[in-house]
Amino acid sequence: MEKEELKANQDAQERRAKKKSSPKKNKITLVPLYCKGCGLCVDICPTGTLQLYDDPKNKFGASVIIEAPDYCIGCKMCELQCPDFAIFINYEQEKKEGAQ
Amino acid sequence: MRDYEKYIRYRTFPTPWCPGCGDGVILKSIAMAFAELKLDPDEIVVVAGIGCSGRMPTYFNTNTLHTTHGRALTFATGIKLARPEKVVVVISGDGDATAIGGNHLIHAARRNIGIKMILINNGIYGMTGGQVSPLTPPKFFTETTPYGNIEPHFNVRTLLTAAEATFVARETVNRLMQLKQVIKKSFQHKGFSVVEVMSNCHVNLGRRNKMKSPLVMTKYIKDITMPMADFEKLSPEEQAPKYPLGIFVENNQRLEYTDLYYNHIVPVAQQSGAKGEK
Amino acid sequence: MSQRKVLQGNIIIAKAALAAGCDFFAGYPITPSSEIAQYMSKEMPKMERAFIQMEDEIASLGACIGASLAGKKTMTATSGPGFSLMQEHLGMAVMAEVPVVIVNVMRGGPSTGMPTKPAQADMMQARWGTHGDHPIIAVYPAFSEEIFSETVRAFNLAEKYWNPVILLLDEVLGKAHMDVEIPEPGSYEVYWEKTHQINDLNIYDRKIGENPPRIDFFHGYPIHIDGLEHDAHGWPSFDAKTVDKMQKLRMQKIYQNLDDIIKYKEYFLDDAEVMVFSFGISARSALAAVKMAREQGIKAGLFQALTIWPFPRAAMQERFKRIKKVLTVEMNMGQMKYEVERIAPADVEKQTLLRANGMPFSPDEVLNAMKEFVK
Repeated sequence: MEKEELKANQDAQERRAKKKSSPKKNKITLVPLYCKGCGLCVDICPTGTLQLYDDPKNKFGASVIIEAPDYCIGCKMCELQCPDFAIFINYEQEKKEGAQ
Repeated sequence: MRDYEKYIRYRTFPTPWCPGCGDGVILKSIAMAFAELKLDPDEIVVVAGIGCSGRMPTYFNTNTLHTTHGRALTFATGIKLARPEKVVVVISGDGDATAIGGNHLIHAARRNIGIKMILINNGIYGMTGGQVSPLTPPKFFTETTPYGNIEPHFNVRTLLTAAEATFVARETVNRLMQLKQVIKKSFQHKGFSVVEVMSNCHVNLGRRNKMKSPLVMTKYIKDITMPMADFEKLSPEEQAPKYPLGIFVENNQRLEYTDLYYNHIVPVAQQSGAKGEK
Repeated sequence: MSQRKVLQGNIIIAKAALAAGCDFFAGYPITPSSEIAQYMSKEMPKMERAFIQMEDEIASLGACIGASLAGKKTMTATSGPGFSLMQEHLGMAVMAEVPVVIVNVMRGGPSTGMPTKPAQADMMQARWGTHGDHPIIAVYPAFSEEIFSETVRAFNLAEKYWNPVILLLDEVLGKAHMDVEIPEPGSYEVYWEKTHQINDLNIYDRKIGENPPRIDFFHGYPIHIDGLEHDAHGWPSFDAKTVDKMQKLRMQKIYQNLDDIIKYKEYFLDDAEVMVFSFGISARSALAAVKMAREQGIKAGLFQALTIWPFPRAAMQERFKRIKKVLTVEMNMGQMKYEVERIAPADVEKQTLLRANGMPFSPDEVLNAMKEFVK
């Protein structure tokens, strides 16, 4: 990961340090098949729920991981932001291909 | 399944764009706007030209048409005049709209034909490797301006206002809620509407100008853009490198072209025909 | 009832187009074809059909292709300079397999040339003007009734074979007022296959040589049409085997149906000793010359090509088995003569009568050339 991605991870960690866990449970669905590891969701999440990590299986080098699932407040900014349809919040109904 | 996923052709995924490219964000915004307006996918046709923005139609689960460079508006004019009740969307990049397609842009605005245009302004010709475009800011380094860009860039807002367009707006890929709202509003407008979306090409423009990461370049776009109300408070020197945002023109007075043709010209012609021409 | 009228060639084309069901015209004025656009602008609104004058020829052909994909029968009309501009979109129509009729009323060239003088110098451009390997159909009427029937046939061929069809004419035939018998509606075939309900993206899949069914937008399934090389679904694909198959499909839909597409007329060729090969305005002079030659005892005959591309090779080679002298008459510096030279056997004597100065051949000039040949 480049220094910008490391900085995004660090900022997310700082945001996690400030907040307590969210009162309501929100389900985060990742689609690793489409994730390109750009880090925009890590950067935009207000509670620092997500992190980037070096992923040898991803052809772009990095993937997103849910670092602190209890911190997700369900604002859906990550879902709005993601250019690749790789993250969904409270995606109830169907199972999608490659979903965790 | 989310309501906006109905408008996405997942069988063609993953998308060809670089990680963090604004094109993917715009794809999602447009799909969300379609979903909020509850449109039938078969009633929509998305037309695009050449370039990274030109690849967008493939990923929409609507009727889609990938045409030649700069001429998407001409194909869209044909479709709209043939089937005026359908929703015709044109997605365009820098070159398609302001370089090779500049003429078609001003004529579509002049005619006020009911095409909804999304102009993706990333300041570069990305697909071909990073050459300068008519929307590249001055002094930037690109593949064909290795010593810095000496040309000023088009001000799309004033260009279209002068061409008598009836809906002109600008948003960025940072302001996600506003982007979706403005796109939705432009789809509801009856005449020709243009939404210019400031987007990030960090791989071709950003990398040559010290903004290699999408995280840095999106922050740069945030810094140089501001709502129109704030923009007007600045002095002319401060205004020069900045871009105002919002809906600048929203004119509902002018009649739309196909409306004029089918509801005004055709009745007149039919009456004159009835008068006993040969 | 068929009607006998005196009409300008351009107007005959316009009337024939409307009779063939043309319901979208986008054009840009250019001498000598502006009358077509003017007539369409007057008549089409009366029939609730769409007419638009676009900002240039490139936009005109673009709008026609768009409208054709939206379910209309479309036409545009231009001349040399506009035809050169339209080449990119012509290729796009071939690649995406979209029917459209393009009228080229030829004038003196190159460049601005002689706007008010005839020429027949766009023959090779009609075949090879646009880049890449592409099949094309080009028809070129000469006599008044042919102008009507070939226009209707151009629309039929475009719809049947999903390809752009070029309708060639020249400045004299376009601008001249001529005596013509307009046939009764219903007495000629108008080909129009209603689009079937589309159920999936597999729009180009068919056997090699087969006629494709019409596809267009808004018929039950959102489809994708592309100018990039694609597979049977319309998806962009550069895979070698797929590209091979698609190229073959596009070529063979024309080349395996030559019997249906090629058309020509033969006059006095059964016992001829010299064959005149011509088309368009030159064919009119040539026919008069051949008749005069026969009166003077010269055994001359005329082979008039109505389809220029694909070239009527088989029919001509059949004649070359017995006729050993061919005179190509064309108003250019030599274009179709190369096709004749290419397909005629070595024992056939080939001569040409060429001119590119804006003066059509008179029958006497063609007769003298024939006399020189048989001397």
